[in-house]
Amino acid sequence: MRTTRTAAVIVVFAWLGVWLPGASAAWAADALKIGMVAPLTGPGAFSGQLQSNGAKLAVAEVNMAGGVLGRPIELVTEDDQTTNPGAVLAFSKLAGDSDIPAFLGPIRSTQVHAIAPDVLKLGKPVMFGGTDPVLTHMGNLWLFRFRPNDTYSARVIADFGTNTLGKKKWAIVHSTDAFGTSGMKYLTESLKSLGINPVLIQGYSNNSQDFTPVALALKQSGAEVMGSYMTFEADVGILAKQLRQLGVNIAWVGSPSNATTNALKLAGPALYGTFAVADFNRDSGPAAKEFAAKYEAAYKVPPDIFASWAYDAVHVLAVALNNAKGVEPDKVRAAILEVNGYQGAEGTYRFDKNGDGLHGYNIIKNDNGTIAFDKHIDFND
Amino acid sequence: MTSGSLITPGASGVISKAMLARGLYVVAALVSVGVANFAPFSAYSLNILMQASTYAIAVLGLTIVLGYTGQINLAQAAFFSLGAYSVALGTTEFGLVFFPALAIGIILACVAGAALGLTSLRLGGHYLAMVTISFQTMLSLVLINWVSLTHGPDGVLNILRPTLLAGYFTDSGHYLALCTAVLYLVGYLVWRLRRTKLGRAMQAVRDNELAAGVVGVDTYRTKVVAFTLSALLGGLGGGLFAGGFRYISPDQFTFSESVVFLTMSLLGGVRSPMGAGLGTGLLILLPEWLRFLKNIYLAVYGGAVILIMVFMPDGIWGFVTALWRRLFPIAPITTGEIAPLPLTQQVARADGSVILTVSQLSKHFGGLKAVDNVDLAIARNTVHALIGPNGSGKTTLLNVMSGLYAPTSGRIELDGRDVTRLAPHQRAGCGLGRTFQNIRLFGAMNVLDNVMVGAERPHNPAGHDASGLERQALAALEFVGLAARAHETVASLSYGHQRLLEIARALAGSPKLLLLDEPGAGLNHAEKEQLVWLLNRLKGHGLTICVIDHDMNIVEQVADRITVLNFGRRIAEGTPLEVLRNPTVVAAYLGEVRLATP
Amino acid sequence: MGFALQLFFTGIGIGAIYALVALGFVLIYRATNVVNFAQGDFAMLGAFAMILLAVDLNWPYWLSIIITLAGLIVFGALFNLGVYYPLRHRSFLPVIISTIGASILLENGVLFAYGPAPQSLPGMFETQGFNIGGVFFDSQYLLILVVTVVMVALQYLFFERTLIGKKLQATSQDKEMASLLGIPVAMMIMLTFIYSATLGGLAGILVGPILFVSVGMGSSIALKAFAASIIGGFGDVTGAVVGGLALGVIETFGAAYISVPYKDGFAFLVLFVFLLIRPQGFFGERVAEKA
Repeated sequence: MRTTRTAAVIVVFAWLGVWLPGASAAWAADALKIGMVAPLTGPGAFSGQLQSNGAKLAVAEVNMAGGVLGRPIELVTEDDQTTNPGAVLAFSKLAGDSDIPAFLGPIRSTQVHAIAPDVLKLGKPVMFGGTDPVLTHMGNLWLFRFRPNDTYSARVIADFGTNTLGKKKWAIVHSTDAFGTSGMKYLTESLKSLGINPVLIQGYSNNSQDFTPVALALKQSGAEVMGSYMTFEADVGILAKQLRQLGVNIAWVGSPSNATTNALKLAGPALYGTFAVADFNRDSGPAAKEFAAKYEAAYKVPPDIFASWAYDAVHVLAVALNNAKGVEPDKVRAAILEVNGYQGAEGTYRFDKNGDGLHGYNIIKNDNGTIAFDKHIDFND
Repeated sequence: MTSGSLITPGASGVISKAMLARGLYVVAALVSVGVANFAPFSAYSLNILMQASTYAIAVLGLTIVLGYTGQINLAQAAFFSLGAYSVALGTTEFGLVFFPALAIGIILACVAGAALGLTSLRLGGHYLAMVTISFQTMLSLVLINWVSLTHGPDGVLNILRPTLLAGYFTDSGHYLALCTAVLYLVGYLVWRLRRTKLGRAMQAVRDNELAAGVVGVDTYRTKVVAFTLSALLGGLGGGLFAGGFRYISPDQFTFSESVVFLTMSLLGGVRSPMGAGLGTGLLILLPEWLRFLKNIYLAVYGGAVILIMVFMPDGIWGFVTALWRRLFPIAPITTGEIAPLPLTQQVARADGSVILTVSQLSKHFGGLKAVDNVDLAIARNTVHALIGPNGSGKTTLLNVMSGLYAPTSGRIELDGRDVTRLAPHQRAGCGLGRTFQNIRLFGAMNVLDNVMVGAERPHNPAGHDASGLERQALAALEFVGLAARAHETVASLSYGHQRLLEIARALAGSPKLLLLDEPGAGLNHAEKEQLVWLLNRLKGHGLTICVIDHDMNIVEQVADRITVLNFGRRIAEGTPLEVLRNPTVVAAYLGEVRLATP
Repeated sequence: MGFALQLFFTGIGIGAIYALVALGFVLIYRATNVVNFAQGDFAMLGAFAMILLAVDLNWPYWLSIIITLAGLIVFGALFNLGVYYPLRHRSFLPVIISTIGASILLENGVLFAYGPAPQSLPGMFETQGFNIGGVFFDSQYLLILVVTVVMVALQYLFFERTLIGKKLQATSQDKEMASLLGIPVAMMIMLTFIYSATLGGLAGILVGPILFVSVGMGSSIALKAFAASIIGGFGDVTGAVVGGLALGVIETFGAAYISVPYKDGFAFLVLFVFLLIRPQGFFGERVAEKA
């Protein structure tokens, strides 16, 4: 009796073994491809890896839940080499595949700008993570942003420092690249709308090895609070250390790079007690907590902004495709714009007519080395 | 080519190899442009080809300045950016249309290139490299930080394409055809440049700048022109690039991009336009093919660069042509009737009149008096020898006479003209010819081109057009017996023949006075005999020669007068008989007074 | 006054790093007539080796330094054999490109192993530094200054007072003559590369804690060190040191009093001016070609 049962089990499994790969192959062959442009090489390679991680996690979850339009989705990634021409080549390669109904674009705004003309020509939705506000205000109907743009980060920084911390004398420290300069511009505007003129605006080139002049300038200006737009964590680390060393005790509300795991590691105690805006923080809400737990389980490290937006983008896209009941670009576009109240890792998505899904930022505090969620500030005007 | 060329490449045939090559090129160009214009390429392919073609134009600039002229230029991305930003800002901010904006960009790039070229007066090699790097870095910083003009790091959006022909070029395929056509045209011109006077001057500067100057090339001006042309092509490529991609930002035009351009030219083969095209294509396609290697492809690329430098220093195209050369060696050419060298442009008059006067010439190097108040008078149509122990100042004196060193004091007059302050190439233009102790030939050019450089010295009475000068060059080669080997490389000549080639190069310049620095050095007995015979022939044709040599046999057989130097001072002068028995002279050589045997 | 002093201290601190790297450049240049574009990457390798040993494996700091330097000795030899030696008879251009290739290979190799995120390397001392009269003296910068002075002094003694040092000098001044005198030129060049690599690695170990350890840290220092060596007088050892220190100070003051974003430009502006009016730098000699 036992042998017969064992034999039967073996037969069943063998039979399944034959069918399942066949079935999964058949299922896989039917996969809906989603294109993704990400930096796999070049200076942005690190963030590209994280973007991939976040997207892949979401893809697995979507497929586990039954896929999109009854089919599993599959991510097709092309390397943009962290350059503009690279992004254009990567996107146009993907665009050549007519089976792909939608794409995830780069996180760097200059690269999104580079592919924008081709996106417009192609006429299919592209979800991206860059924060340059211009990208959703230049008449391109196919760009959808999955992180709050820099007008919001600026308003949140200004609001928090002025109203919550109660500081009126502001300094702005910013990198001279696209991100830093545009952030500085919007922060200055936001402060002006609150009736404040910054006492110091100080730019620096990325990868400055020394911030003594900046620290001394801050000391001299008498500022009580500093808003910053810094791109690289190494710069954040060096500035933080030198501020302490030179005795510059000033409140600090920084851009998201102040709150990444790496920034904390590099700056150590020098960043304790400072604040930052972060579009992603695991304690900002239940969806964020859930995402963080799943990400950590899969990748053994805590997630950050590079992964979270991509995760949300894939999920929202899946929802939109299902709601649109098809892959026709206009329908998908309309479906995305209709997303209202979707709880993602980055926050609650409410797409406005420009394609911006998020309209606020979290404030986090560096509490002796741990990132503590402080509050969330939204601007829904 | 030159019309009425005397050289026929061996076989008969109405269509020469050159014409065939050119025909093929034109066909290839037409086909490429046609395909670009009409074939339904995907956006991906169009983008790659646009990047490749515009980059190739910029890399052709490096072929000129680095490949032809041997000057290192690490600022090509800066020139590229000047063209790109001119088109970008011109069409979006200043209301210009594409081609005028492109023209402005090219002009700006040329000005910048000329300026960098001007700095090459005092510098070369690594210093020049640093100047170009500095310029590149500073321009990058300006592009990022001068936000009101350049839009800073945001870059410039919505760049317009040409509006010509009712917007025909707005379509990417048509625009690519335009870029391809420009590339082929530029490629042809760059290839053609190699065979022109300017091209030969550039190559001479590259192969041996010192000799080039002495032989009549205005090396400084050549370098400035080379930089200007390189910048021109950089700007042209950049402008077309901006129109192609329609968005530019400063992070694309940094020093790393200059390194990319440099690597492209070296990979393909820096000395030929084919190499430029090959290298560019390969380095743009390679990352695409290597996409499967994902993260490590850049490491592979770096390793590949090293391997190529070690095993294929002339790049891939250089390797291919060398292989071709080995399989199909150059056959000796048959020349038509070569008119003899018109050396007797001055009346052969051994009338005692002086052609060169050196008065009270001194050259001090700090405390060392290499040449100390030397007087020298060389009579027309004589052979005047300059001898003395090692370190007596003979070569220094010759170098001052050539213009390589400025004298500390004193005067030099050539045929009645004060040449004391003239640059070497200007002295060559006055009819001063020279060979060197260590043979200084232009190693990468063939035998004929070496001599052509000599013939192309300023104010050569032998001819004013290319064919006249080619005749002169061939005549000079014929005189030394090397005419049949005109198309061979310098390296294939024996040492003795290389010496003869150097002399031929000097002769092609129709010199009034020929300075020979140790022409017998390294020659065997038979070759020395031949040299003596040659010198006597030259004297017979009316040439005046000043020769330094240690071999007293040669000196005795050719010299009419001898001047002896020791410790920079003239210690004796006179006929060979007088001088060689002079006890002071003997003592100078042997260190003690000895009775010379009659 | 306090400000200027602070800026000065930081300036010579970073200048000392430029000086150490420039020393390596100059030594290789003098021996082989080649500019090594991968010089900065020796520093990068030294710093990463410390990360591997002292941070990842948690070995004692001093032991890690010794092993790192030993590793760089080996690496310097390999570098010579792989990158310079096969091209030793060719003109300077292929060698420059080969070193650029080596730089790309090294940086991307390390990138593959460690990823692009900058790493933190603890400094030598527990205390961050001292505050004297309102000026902060970073302990790691002080260490850098002390080490640089010691290295320059040791190097002087080595080159001027030992036989092998003199042989190295002879090789760098005239390879052919040295060879004729029985000096094993290839071995001397090997020693030069080994020493330069170790010097570079030392610079990396010292500066890693301040600038953080990342794949690109070497190249940015190297370019400036190269400029510094020209300002000081290319080919001259004292010049490399003076040039490095001067550059660090110029940069820091320029950033503070003129413009921070253009900080990187000051080095090159000064270099440009020097090249135009005094290309031999402070201490170099004009070398004329022998006709």
